[in-house]
Amino acid sequence: MPRRTRPRTQDQRRQRHKDVLHDRGGHRANDFRCVGCRLDVSVDAPGTAHRNHCPQCLASLHVDRRIPGDRASECRGRMEALAVFTRPDGEWMIVHQCLSCTELSSNRIAGDDNAIALMRLALRPLQDTDRASRTLINL
Amino acid sequence: MSTTSNTLKIHTFTCAWCGLTATKSTSDGALRNHCPSCLHSQHVADHVEGGPSECEGRMSPIAIAVLRTGDWMLIHRCVRCDELTSNPVCGDDNQLILMRMAVRPLAQPPFPLEALGSL
Ligand SMILES: [Zn+2]
Ligand SMILES: [Zn+2]
Ligand SMILES: [Zn+2]
Ligand SMILES: [Zn+2]
Repeated sequence: MPRRTRPRTQDQRRQRHKDVLHDRGGHRANDFRCVGCRLDVSVDAPGTAHRNHCPQCLASLHVDRRIPGDRASECRGRMEALAVFTRPDGEWMIVHQCLSCTELSSNRIAGDDNAIALMRLALRPLQDTDRASRTLINL
Repeated sequence: MSTTSNTLKIHTFTCAWCGLTATKSTSDGALRNHCPSCLHSQHVADHVEGGPSECEGRMSPIAIAVLRTGDWMLIHRCVRCDELTSNPVCGDDNQLILMRMAVRPLAQPPFPLEALGSL
């Protein structure tokens, strides 16, 4: 699981922006700056067709309405990672919730999503040891 | 319990999925939106547009979210239209299903746990 450590300084990020001019595919037009941690995010993510959240803090923007990628919502609120769950095929999914309108969406994780951020999210229900042990004792 | 069959109907509902008859509100007065036994619900409200939904699909519990207060919320997804909802977990909800849901992702991490090092 070699994960890229991303440079944080503004200078380095600005340098990267020059790539836009030389990019033939035009993909870069969809790149975004994270509303959570200000990281510049490329939409070309390993292991996902459509990157919609920041690989570092997992935050997203409320742009889709009903279908992932439809970009039909005018909300533009900040969506925070709320929970993870596992699909029947074992793949992890993130549940995002919009901080402006409380809408929920579920999204596949990407190959370079921050493993610690994902793990922290997965451990949240077990973090309150009182709640967790009460649940276990009651089983 | 000395309730007539009429008030039973008013105060209870029958789960469309597992057949359990449950009270509409919990002992501490909270309204139920899902069956306390199988934790399934029914898609009757449209959360994107607001108002009622004609979907009526089965909503299956998929994840547990934790509020800042520490309270657990149950995330449901409609098996017909994929809509997601979030509702409070009730005190008498099936603890086994809740716990299984809470630990399930940890049983299948998308990366080797050793890679997390000193976490
Ligand atoms: Zn971010
Ligand atoms: Zn929103
Ligand atoms: Zn049921
Ligand atoms: Zn539905």
